[in-house]
Formats: sequence, structure tokens, C-alpha cells
Amino acid sequence: MERGMERWLLIAATLLAAVGGVWGMLSVHRGTRSHWTVAWMGGVFLCQFGFLVMRGEQRGACPLRETGEILAYLSWALTLFYLLVGPTYRISLLGVFTAPVVLVFQAAALMPGMLSENPARVAGTDPWGETHAATSVLAYGALALAAVAGVMFLVLDRQLKEQHLKSGLFRNLPPVRELLVSLERLLWLGGVLLTLGIFAGFMMPRSASAAGHFVAATGVWLGYAVLLGVKRWRGLTGRRLSLGAVALFVISLGVFAFI
Amino acid sequence: MQLVCLGLNHRTAPVEVRERFAVGTPKLGEAAVEIAELAGVGEGLVVSTCNRTEFYLAAEEGMGTIGLLEQQLAQVTQLDERVADHFYRKVGADAAVHLCRVVSGLDSMVLGETEIFGQVKQAYQAAHAAGSTGNVLNRVFQRAFAIGKKVRTDTAIQEGSTSIGNIAVELAEKIFGHLKDSEVMVLGAGEMSRLTAKALVSRGARSIFVANRSYDRAVELAEEMGGKAVRFDDWHTVLTRVDVVISSTGAPHAIVQREQVEKVRRARKYRPLFFIDIAVPRDIDAGVGEIEEVYLYDIDTLEQLADEARAKRQLQIAHCERIIESELLKTQLPGM
Repeated sequence: MERGMERWLLIAATLLAAVGGVWGMLSVHRGTRSHWTVAWMGGVFLCQFGFLVMRGEQRGACPLRETGEILAYLSWALTLFYLLVGPTYRISLLGVFTAPVVLVFQAAALMPGMLSENPARVAGTDPWGETHAATSVLAYGALALAAVAGVMFLVLDRQLKEQHLKSGLFRNLPPVRELLVSLERLLWLGGVLLTLGIFAGFMMPRSASAAGHFVAATGVWLGYAVLLGVKRWRGLTGRRLSLGAVALFVISLGVFAFI
Repeated sequence: MQLVCLGLNHRTAPVEVRERFAVGTPKLGEAAVEIAELAGVGEGLVVSTCNRTEFYLAAEEGMGTIGLLEQQLAQVTQLDERVADHFYRKVGADAAVHLCRVVSGLDSMVLGETEIFGQVKQAYQAAHAAGSTGNVLNRVFQRAFAIGKKVRTDTAIQEGSTSIGNIAVELAEKIFGHLKDSEVMVLGAGEMSRLTAKALVSRGARSIFVANRSYDRAVELAEEMGGKAVRFDDWHTVLTRVDVVISSTGAPHAIVQREQVEKVRRARKYRPLFFIDIAVPRDIDAGVGEIEEVYLYDIDTLEQLADEARAKRQLQIAHCERIIESELLKTQLPGM
């Protein structure tokens, strides 16, 4: 297969996400439900999948060796969980909120220098290392979607509190309880995957320079563990759970961007 | 044969006149046969709801038959000739347009209400089963039902809720989704809270607790709704488990204070709580609405939402009428 083809697939996924997002927002503005959001996001998912398969073949390993690949994989995981959660819980609007996040991640991945033209083939892969990378990024996909659900809750909560009930967005947002249930389940899913990722990370052979990475990963894991623990045993308002999910995701993204 | 409509409704006749012409649902077929047997009349159908009674006929001579029917009705109801002032009379295309307006909810007291569609359908089925409809009424009514559906689907004539009860239900569903997992507490067993609680129960609310100063009245209302009565002094003990609180007590001061709700937050694990305060003066301290997981709506807000929905429906009338006009022109109906 022609080299560079995978980049076009990622561009196509990015354009589809942009169209899906804009289409969804226009529907919301008109006060109608966007039935096409799932279809658009399905197209995004297929293009992302194509990109990852081709990149994986070129690498001969999990395509998680550079920032661009990690961002593309994260977008794929986010889209995957949206497709699993969104239609199941009939929260199609989640796609409208997810599309811009996918768009931003993939646009960043397509920036010059983020994806090498000729990815080097990986020699001697370690199964623990591959598991660590794959499950960790997958976990961030679930946690990203939890953050998206959190943002949706915060918007709905504000509209209900301030009694601004006329917008198309209000009419299309799923009920508070459904959003909170989805948010909590996504946090648990992300938490379990993150635990697996960190466990695999401890099992893989690692250099001394990876210490900072593991400290950060453990810190993030602890943050999510505290959030879920407090929610499970003490209880937490929807607003605090959502703010916690959004803040932890943004912080973890920021931390890993610098480590 | 010409299509003819003779009727009176909430706009043309007071209730004491309307009730004289009301026909009970089980007698709709019989009444339809009676008018179909009048001289010069081939088909007959009677629509009767709390706001209107209308007689639809397929007759040889439109206006002449109306006069005959009016005489017959005056005899049956024993009302003097002045009753004629309350009637409206429509013939041919005018009658068909009127029927479409009725079916679409444009002629209803609550603009765009959906119940009338089913009531007219029921009247048609009763007349059809009694054998008093024929080619004219069958085709006109079936076309009117199709047009009524189109009007309701293509316009916003039935969008938004125009009653406090329905608005409360819609908001509760926006917070809790399906109400089958939700529990409701009613504070004060007045008519407004009864109607609102009933609307919530009809949408599946799992259980209802009723607290009232008069315990007997609480028991009565609880029994009516399949719920449980609670002594008024113990209402706060139920607060830990319910999701929706409807309050309408008539007390001169706030019954629900912020501190009382704060106390149960931990036990509720900070789950969302929806307060509907339909009392004047208000029963629920405004500070309750400042608690993070609490959504508090008072009577003014609910009324305002109902007014907005009504105004929005008003703006749809012209659009609906255009649809009726163009749809009726598409087919050549008999009796026009």
C-alpha cells in the first residue's frame, strides 16, 4: 500500500468529525435531533481504524510511538466509546460534543512534526509494553468521553438552575440522571483500563527516565480512584463529579504533554 | 349530497347550554342514527366533548336541513328559539375546513390539545359502527384525520406544555428520565398538587407519599393515587428517599427550609432533587434552590413557561390553516 495513505485517512476522519460536529450543532440550533451524528461518527471511526491498522503494519507494533500516533489512537478510543455508549443510552447529542474533541486531537496529530513520514519499524516489541501503551490510551478514550459527558451535565445543570429552558440544546440534552449514570460508568471503565495499563507498565522493562512518567500515571490513577471512591461511598453532587471528571482529564492531558 | 355541520362550542355557548346538548360516549352511535333518519338526510355523525357538540350530516339541501335539525334539537332539549344564537352553521367546503380545524386542535380551548383528535375519531367510529355514515362522511372524516395528523407533525401546534402539571412532568423527565424509578412527595393535598401528582403518576412515577395537615385528607389522596399517607410533622423523614417534591399547602410561611434539605443531603448521597412549589405564598424557601443538586421551580416560573408555550402555539395558527387549505384542495371530496 502506498506510503502516506494513512495520513489521508486521518485527514478524512478529521473532516468527517468536523462535518458531523457542525451538522449536529446546526440540528441542535434548529431544535431537532441529529439522527446522522452516529453515522458521521461511524465514518470517523472507520477512517481512524484504517489509519491505525496501516500505521501498525508500518511499525510492526502498536502505533503509539510518537505524539501524533497517541493522539490519533486517543481519538479512536474516544470515538469507539461514544459509539458504544451514545446509541445505547440514546444520547445522540454526546456525538455533537465528542466531535469537536476528536477534531482538536486529530488536527493536533496532523500538525507538522507530529507524525513522521516514514515511521521506523519497531524491533523487539515487549508484550507488557504494548499492553501498557494500548490499554492506557484506551483508558484515556473512556475518560475523555466521561469528561465530555461531564461538560454536557454542566451545561444542562446550568440551564435547569437558571431556568433557561427554551434553547434547542436544552431540548436535545439527555436527562440529568442518564448523563450522570453514563459519566460514572465511563469513569469506572476508564479506571479499570488505566489500572491494567499501569500494572502492565510496572511489569515492562523500563529505563530510569520513565520514572517521571510512572509517577504521573500513578498520580492520575489516584485522582480518579479518589473521585470514584468518594462518589461510591460518600456520594457526590453531579456538578462536583462532572467538574472532577473534566479537571482530572485536562490535568492528566497536560501532565503527559510535558512528561 | 352536501356536507353540513351544525354545532356549538365553548366560544359560542355557556356551559349551561352546552350541557343540554351533550351526548354521552355510549350514545354517540344512537344519536348519529337519529339525525341520519331526518328527512333529506343521508348520513349523520355526532361529536360531543365537554367543550363542544357538533352534528355532521350529508344532506340533500344544506341550509334547509340545518333548519330542520335545529327544530328537532329545540324540541328535544326544550330550549326556546334563542338557543339558535349559540349555533354555528357550516356547509360544504366551510364544514370540511371547520372539521379539519377541530381535528387539528385549532378550535380547542387549549390550542393544539391532542385529546380532541381521539374524541372525533371515537365519534366517527361510533357512527360508522351504527351504520349512519356513508360515502360523504367516510371520505371527509378520513381525509380530516390525515390532515389533522399532518398539521400536528409539520407544525409546532402541539409543542411545549400549556398546563402546570404537564410542565412539571416534562421538567421531572428532563431531570430523571423515565419516572418509573422516581418517587414523589406531595405536601398539601390541594387540587393543584393533586393534578400535578396525578400527571407524574400517569407518566410512571414509582410511588407517591402524601403529607397534609389533615391526615384524613392525606389518606384520601394517597388512596386515590395508590400512594402512602405521611403525618405532616414527619414529611422530612421521607425527603431522604424521594426525587420530586410538590408543595401546595396554603401555609402563610415557608414550610421547607434550606437547613432541612441540607440535613438530608448526605443520606441522599447528593442525588438530584426537584422541588415544585405551586403555593402562594411560597412553601419552599428560595435558599433551597441554591443547594447544588436541587432544582426549584415556583408557580410564576411554571406559569411563564405555560404562557410561552401558548404564545408559540398561537404563532402556528396561520401555518396550520395554510396546510389545511392546501391539503383539502388536493382531493376532490364529496359533499363540497
